[in-house]
Amino acid sequence: MLAYILRRIVYVIPIVVSVALVCFMLVHITPGDPLVAILPADASQELASQLRIAYGFDRPLPVQFGLWLWKAVNGDLGHSIATGRPVLSEVMRAVGNTVTLAIAAAMIGFTLGLFFGLLAGYFRDTWVDKVATSIAIAGVSVPHYWLGMVLVIIFSVQLNWLPAVGAGPGGSGAWGWDWEHIRYLVLPAVTTSVIPMGIVTRTVRALTGDILSQDFVEALRAKGLRETHVFRHVIKNAAPTAMAVMGLQLGYMLGGSILIETVFSWPGSGLLLNSAIFQRDLPLLQGTILVLALFFVFLNLMVDIAQAAIDPRIKRS
Amino acid sequence: MSISPTSALSDAALQAAPSSKARGYWATVGRRLLRDKVSVACALILALIFLSALAAPWLGLADPYQGSMIRRLRHIGTAGYPLGTDELGRDMLARLIYGGRLSLIVGILPVILAFGIGTSLGLIAGYVGGKINTAIMRTVDVFYAFPSVLLAIAISGALGAGIVNSIVSLTIVFVPQITRIAESVTTGVRNMDFVEAARASGAGPFTIMRVHMLGNVLGPIFVYATGLISVSMILAAGLSFLGLGTKPPEPEWGLMLNTLRTAIYINPWVAALPGAMIFAVSIGFNLLSDGMRSAMDIRN
Amino acid sequence: MRIEKSGRSRTAAAVVILAMAAVAALPRISAAETTLRIGMTAADIPRTLGQPDQGFEGNRFTGLTMYDALTMWDLSSADKASVVIPGLATEWKVDDADKKKWTFRLRPGVIFHDGSPFNADAVVWNVEKVLKQDAPQFDPSQVGVTASRMPTLASARKIDDMTVEMITKEPDSFLPINLTNLFMASPAKWQKFYDAAQGADAKAKSQAAWAAFAKDASGTGPWKMSSFTPRERLELVKNEGYWDKARVPKVDKMVLLPMPEANARTAALLSGQVDWIEAPAPDAVAEIKQRGFGLYSNEEPHVWPWQFSRVEGSPWNDIRVRKAANLCIDREGLKDGLLAGLMVPATGTFEPGHPWRGNPTFQIKYDKPAAQKLMQEAGYGPTKKLTVKVQTSASGSGQMLPLPMNEYLQQALAECYFDVQLDVIEWNTLFTNWRRGAKDPSANGANATNVTYAAMDPFFALVRFLQSSMAPPVSNNWGYINNPKFDELVTKARQTFDPTERDKALAELHAASVDDAAFLYVAHDVAPRALSPKIKGFVQPKSWFVDFSPISMTP
Repeated sequence: MLAYILRRIVYVIPIVVSVALVCFMLVHITPGDPLVAILPADASQELASQLRIAYGFDRPLPVQFGLWLWKAVNGDLGHSIATGRPVLSEVMRAVGNTVTLAIAAAMIGFTLGLFFGLLAGYFRDTWVDKVATSIAIAGVSVPHYWLGMVLVIIFSVQLNWLPAVGAGPGGSGAWGWDWEHIRYLVLPAVTTSVIPMGIVTRTVRALTGDILSQDFVEALRAKGLRETHVFRHVIKNAAPTAMAVMGLQLGYMLGGSILIETVFSWPGSGLLLNSAIFQRDLPLLQGTILVLALFFVFLNLMVDIAQAAIDPRIKRS
Repeated sequence: MSISPTSALSDAALQAAPSSKARGYWATVGRRLLRDKVSVACALILALIFLSALAAPWLGLADPYQGSMIRRLRHIGTAGYPLGTDELGRDMLARLIYGGRLSLIVGILPVILAFGIGTSLGLIAGYVGGKINTAIMRTVDVFYAFPSVLLAIAISGALGAGIVNSIVSLTIVFVPQITRIAESVTTGVRNMDFVEAARASGAGPFTIMRVHMLGNVLGPIFVYATGLISVSMILAAGLSFLGLGTKPPEPEWGLMLNTLRTAIYINPWVAALPGAMIFAVSIGFNLLSDGMRSAMDIRN
Repeated sequence: MRIEKSGRSRTAAAVVILAMAAVAALPRISAAETTLRIGMTAADIPRTLGQPDQGFEGNRFTGLTMYDALTMWDLSSADKASVVIPGLATEWKVDDADKKKWTFRLRPGVIFHDGSPFNADAVVWNVEKVLKQDAPQFDPSQVGVTASRMPTLASARKIDDMTVEMITKEPDSFLPINLTNLFMASPAKWQKFYDAAQGADAKAKSQAAWAAFAKDASGTGPWKMSSFTPRERLELVKNEGYWDKARVPKVDKMVLLPMPEANARTAALLSGQVDWIEAPAPDAVAEIKQRGFGLYSNEEPHVWPWQFSRVEGSPWNDIRVRKAANLCIDREGLKDGLLAGLMVPATGTFEPGHPWRGNPTFQIKYDKPAAQKLMQEAGYGPTKKLTVKVQTSASGSGQMLPLPMNEYLQQALAECYFDVQLDVIEWNTLFTNWRRGAKDPSANGANATNVTYAAMDPFFALVRFLQSSMAPPVSNNWGYINNPKFDELVTKARQTFDPTERDKALAELHAASVDDAAFLYVAHDVAPRALSPKIKGFVQPKSWFVDFSPISMTP
C-alpha cells in the first residue's frame, strides 16, 4: 500500500510542475498591460516603463516563470498588483469561503443523490425510478447560474425570504453558524448542489441496479436473507465508486465555483478569480488558478488512494 | 459542478466494441431509438429549435437588434411582444430565436472540433502506443488536472472575450476528455482477434485504424459527445454570462441572461427566459444521449 | 469513510446551529451608537494605505475619509462650484524669481491617528513615497495613481518644521490643485511596521510594511480605520480629535461595502441592509422615491463625450460636421427617456456657473434643422450619408449606460445624415487604445472614441486632450488635435500664477474648445445616490466627493 501511495505521489510531481507552467503561460499570453490595474491610462510612457521594471515585467518570460515557481515552492505567490496584499493570503481566505459553500452544497447534494440513487436503483423501471431519474437529469442539465437567478427571483425578489447576495450581515470575516448567517448560504448552496445531486443519483442508481441484478443477490434472497443484509451488501459494493465520484464532485465544486459565486457575490475563490480576470491582476490570477488546480490534483490523489485502500484490485492495475 | 457526462459510459464503450462488423447492429440501434418516446420527443424539440434558429430571418420576426427606449422591459404577453422586450426594448421572441444561432454554434462547435481532434489523438495514441502514447496521454493528463470550468474560464480570461476565443477555449477543455476515451477503447480493441487477423492479412496501419478501429471507437465517443453538448451549452453560455464569451449586442442566450440580470427586480420572468432555452437544449441532448446509450446496450 | 465523516460534521453543525440560534434569540441591548452603512459601486474596497485605487470613488471613500491632503476641495455647497481650499497647508505661494519653486505653510497642531505629529518631515516623506525611487517608503504600486495626477511635481524639501518647499519640472500654476490627490499617511506608523517586517531585502520589507499599513492605517482625516475585511468590508470610526472641529463627524461609525451590481445594491437599500447606496439602478428610481428614500444627485465634473479623430482623412476634420453632430442630439430626450433624469445635458466640459466655463459663442443645443443645414453645406444629405465609426464598450467605470446611450446617438444622428457604426470592444481594450491613439491598429479604423473623463483638474479636463504635445504616446490627445490656439492658451494658463487670472485663462481655453466643437459633448454624470430617510444633513456638492462629517442619523 505504501509503495502504491509513493508511486502515486511521484507520478503527481510532473503534473504539478506542468500545471504551474500552464497557469503561468495562460496568464502571460494575456493581451494588455499587466499593470493596467494600477496604471491609469493617462499615466506617462516614462512612468509606465519605470513601473514595469519595478515589477519585473521587463524580464524574459522563462526567468519570470523560474522566479515565480521558486517563490511558489517556498510558499510565496507574490503580491496582488491591484491591492498589494500577498496573493497566498488572498487566495486562502477566499478558498475558505468556497469550502464553506462546497461543504454545505455537498451535504445537500450527496444526501439527496444517495437517497434518490438508492431509491431508483431499488425500484428500477417503476415510476419511482422515473421520477428520481428525471430529477437527476434535470440536475445535470440545468444551467446552474440560471437556476441561481431563478431562486433569487422567487425567494429574494418575490417572497423576500432570503438574501440575494453576500456572505452574512458582517461579511465572511464575521461568519457564524447561526441562522442570521446561514440564511445567506441557503440559495448558493442549493444552487451548487444540483449538479452533484444529479450525478450522484445517476451513479448510485447504476451501481445499485447492477449489484441487485447479479445472480448471487437472487441466491441470497432465495436463501431467505433479510433485506437489510442485502442493503448492506449493496452499500459495501457501491461505496468505492460512489465515494470516488463524490470526491471528484467536491473538487469540481471547489474549482468551478466562479459562476455561482458571481451570481450570489459569495466572496470565495471564484469571485476572486473573476475580479483577477477583469482587473488583469496577473499575480493574483495565476496564483488563484494554481491553488485551485493543485487542490483538484490533491483531491484526485486522495480519491485514488482511498479507492485503493478499499479495493485492493486497483493497486495492481 | 461536474462537467463530464457520467458513468455507464465505459459500459457502452465495451459493449459496442466487439460488433464492428454488423450493419444490422446499427439498424437495431436505430429501431430501438425510434421506439423510445422520450428520445423521439427530444429529437423533435431540438430539431424545432435548430430549424427556427436557421430559418429565423424568414419567420417574420421583429428585428432582434432594433431597440427602443419607450418599450423596454415589457412583460410577457404584451400585445405585439409575445415574450416581452429586453432592457433595450428589443423583442424577446426574436432575440431568443435568433439567439439560437450563436448559442448553438458556440455550444456545439467545440464538441465537434474536440470530437475530431480528440478521436484522432486517441486513435493514434492507442494504436501506436509506446512513446507517442506517453507523450499524448501525459499532456492530456495535465489538462485533466484542472476542473473543466476553471480551465475554460482561465483560457477565456487569458484570450479575452469573443466568440472565436470561447470556441477555442471549450475545444481545449473537451479534447482531453475525448482523447482519453478514444485511447482506452482503441487500446482495448487493438489486441482483439479481428484486428490481429487484419494485420496478419497485410492491412496497413491506416487501413486498420480507419476500417477496424474507427468503427468501434466512434460509437461510444458519439454517445459521450452527445452528452457533452449539454455540458458545452451550459459552459459556453456561462462564459458569455460572465462577460467572457459573445460580445453585445449579439443575441446569445448566455449574454442575454447576463444583461437581463439587471432587470430581475422589474421584470423577472422575461429575465429568466434565455436560461430556459439553455436548459431546454441541454436537457434535450442529455436525454438523447441516454436514449442512445440504452439503445446501443443490446443486452437489455 | 467520507460519507460517515460528513454525517458526523453535519450533526455537529446542527448542534452548533441550535446553540447559536439560542444565543441570537437573547434580547440585545441596543447601543445609542449610530452607524452609517454605505454600498459602494466598487467591486473591491479601494486601497486603504493612503493613495486609493478605483478612481475618484476610491478617493471619496478611503482617501478623503481617513486622510487629508495639503489642499482640499470645498464640499460644503450644493449650488456653487467646488473649488480648492486650504487643507493641511494653510497658505502657499510661488517664488517670484523662480516660478518652479513653491513654498507651503503647514497647519500647526495636527496629529495623525497614531498620535504622531504632522509636520514638514511627514510631507517630504509622503512626496517621496511616490517620487523618490531610493527612499525606503517608495511604493511602485502607489505611483501610478498619484504621479499621473501631479505630473509636474519633482521634489519636496523641508525648510523648517512647518514649511515645505516644492519644486516642479516646469512652471505650473496647477500644482495646488494637483496636490489634492496626495494624501498624508503617517510616517511614524509606517516605520513601526517597517522595523517589524520580515523580508529578504529592503524592498520586500517595504512591501510588507505597506501591506501591514493598509490593514491598520493612520492618517489625519476625520475618520479612523477600525476594522478591515479585504474585499468585503471596511469599518471607520469618527476621529474625535480632528483638527477642524466643525468637521468632526456626527455619526459614530461608517461601514463601507463593495456592491458592484446596481440591482443588488438597490435591493440592499430597500431591505435595510445598508443606509446609503451609490448609483441606484435607474429602473428602480421610481420605487426608491415611492418608498420614502431620498434620491440625491448633482452635476459632477465628468463628461460623457465622443472624442474625435483629427488625423488626416477623418470626416471630423470638417468643423461643420463636428458642429452638426453637437446640434443633432436631443439631450433632454436622452435624459428622460433613458436615464430616468439622472444626467445633465452637456454643453461643454464645464457648464455655466463654473469658473472655467468662459463665454463660448457656439451654443450647444438641440437644433436639428441647423444640424441638417450644416451637413448639407458639408456635402451630405439623405442620399449621401456620412459613415463614422465609434469605439465603445459595454461597461466601464464612469461610462454610465454606454450601449443604450450610443444606440440612442446612432438613431439621433441618422436624422442628420450620419451612418454611425458602433465598434463594441472590451472596456480594458478601449481604455488602452485611448492612450494609443486613433492611428493605432487597435483603434480598428474608428474615427471617434467614447471614453468618459473626470474634469476636476484643468490638466485632466482640458490640457491632456487639447495640447498638441499631449498626442499619443504622451497622453490622451487621442485624435491628435493640433490647434496652435489651444497650445498658446494652455501655456498661458499654466504660467498664470494669480488664481483669478489663471481661472480666466482656463475659461478662455474652454470657450475656444467649445467654439471649435472639439468633442461631441453629450452628458455629465450626476452621481446619483439613494439615502435612507434616517439620514439627515446631507449636502451633495458639484463634485466627485462628499463630506460625510455633517451627516447625522436618527436611530
